[in-house]
Amino acid sequence: MSDPTLDLFGDAPPGDGGEARRDGGRRPPPPRSEPEARSLPAPRVWTVRQVNRAVRLQLEQTLPQLWVGGEMANFRRQRSGHCYFTLKDDAAQLRCVMFRREAVRLPADPEEGMTLKVFGGLTLYEARGVYQLVVAKVEAESEGGMWKLAFDRLASRLDAEGLTDPGRKRPLPAFPNRVGIVSSPTSAALKDVIAVVGRRAPWVRLLVRSTRVQGQGAGAEIAAAISSLASRDVDVVIVARGGGSIEDLWGFNEEPVARAVAASPVPVVSGVGHETDVTICDLVADLRAATPSAAAEAVAPDRKAVAGVLQGLGRRLGKGLAAQARSRRWRLDQAGDMLVRRGRRRLAVSRARLDAAGARMSDTVRRRIRHESGRLAEVAAAMDALSPLSTLARGYALPLDGEGRLLRGVRDFTPGRDFGLRVVDGNVPCEVTGPALGAPLPDAGAVAFESGSTRHGS
Amino acid sequence: MEAERGLDATLKRIEAIVAALDSDSLGLDEALALFEEGVGHLRRAQEFLAMAELRVEELIGREGEEVREFREPGQGDRDAGDDS
Repeated sequence: MSDPTLDLFGDAPPGDGGEARRDGGRRPPPPRSEPEARSLPAPRVWTVRQVNRAVRLQLEQTLPQLWVGGEMANFRRQRSGHCYFTLKDDAAQLRCVMFRREAVRLPADPEEGMTLKVFGGLTLYEARGVYQLVVAKVEAESEGGMWKLAFDRLASRLDAEGLTDPGRKRPLPAFPNRVGIVSSPTSAALKDVIAVVGRRAPWVRLLVRSTRVQGQGAGAEIAAAISSLASRDVDVVIVARGGGSIEDLWGFNEEPVARAVAASPVPVVSGVGHETDVTICDLVADLRAATPSAAAEAVAPDRKAVAGVLQGLGRRLGKGLAAQARSRRWRLDQAGDMLVRRGRRRLAVSRARLDAAGARMSDTVRRRIRHESGRLAEVAAAMDALSPLSTLARGYALPLDGEGRLLRGVRDFTPGRDFGLRVVDGNVPCEVTGPALGAPLPDAGAVAFESGSTRHGS
Repeated sequence: MEAERGLDATLKRIEAIVAALDSDSLGLDEALALFEEGVGHLRRAQEFLAMAELRVEELIGREGEEVREFREPGQGDRDAGDDS
């Protein structure tokens, strides 16, 4: 390559535009193409614009894109999204611009004084006549580079807000009913989670929310997926993605993801990357699992374990009921014993009294019975003698009025009165036909005789 | 029934019953009724575990407003970069 400086600052002025020289030609066109050059042969006067354009073209066309190492200074991110900074070493400075299209890929703003390596092409900003490096990529010299810087910065901010506080971590539900999964629909991570849950806890219902898990804007999509699942009545959310480079996993290091995890009303388990990959999502999640499979294992209780829990509960139910019965039986036994003891004591006393009383009573009664039965015999004999039946049997009759009262004397036999005559074998209806005559009883024999004359039947 | 209630709720109910049975304040009828209820839950939970089959659904729509049976997209519409 010939020295461009010689051409640039030689006699020949530049052409009327860069377009004509996109062929990579290093020589300015001949001066005779310029009208004013023709009218003013000498000295050749360049416009400022011509100079700057010529220099810009020289810069852009002669120096390939290059990596430049240096120290970061005066980093400014403008509202337009373009970033400006200066790269310097102890002796020199280089102005740098990173346009929005590239700047959005910068995970974090670099820090003042950071040692950086930037990649880009040199150009000249014609309006100001300053030359600058148009930066396409920025890498930090320190380990992990800009990613680590961004990670550390967000992590410490979340720390300060308390979002990574262990006290904030919620326990996972022991027996979830519905589990949400945020993952790429075609990913091995999702297949792993489904397989593990299906093996361990097939009664669980899985609800998948598909999302991109890498690339520009993945963070916002992951965050939205977490939020939409969290509002769908799931008991726990798994965020799953397989391993990858830090750039691949970057979506999980973005602030919207951290915010969505922190805002989730149900616990979030982060199963992102491999064991060694730690993401912001891991830090804020209620549980960080090393892999997607481990996340699924943490969430899904093993069916054998559940069967064991059920068995244990069954035993405890049985024991509980047995204890209830036992405590009741004991109380019953106690009460029964007491009753029996008391009863026996009382019974013994009573029985002694009863025995004594019985003994006394039997003597009395026996004596009494003897006495009474003697009296009974006498009474019976007397009653037999007094009974009207035996008198009637001997032929006497008893005149009785309608009410069964005995008619004893003449006065009772008023003429026309009906009465009955009770004889030994029946009743004879009678009527007094005339006035009765009063007469004293002669003697028993005379009455017997007269009665004999009125006998009926027999 | 266990599916609506959820295994967690069922187990919690059984645990509550066990705790009640361990207490002294129950009438015998109550204790028996609780025991029967608990055994019923246990039996149904065991059947539930034995019969369950994994259901995978998918939340779709812009706002995630719809749920359908999950189908893995064909290899053709695999998103670039979804390699994990």
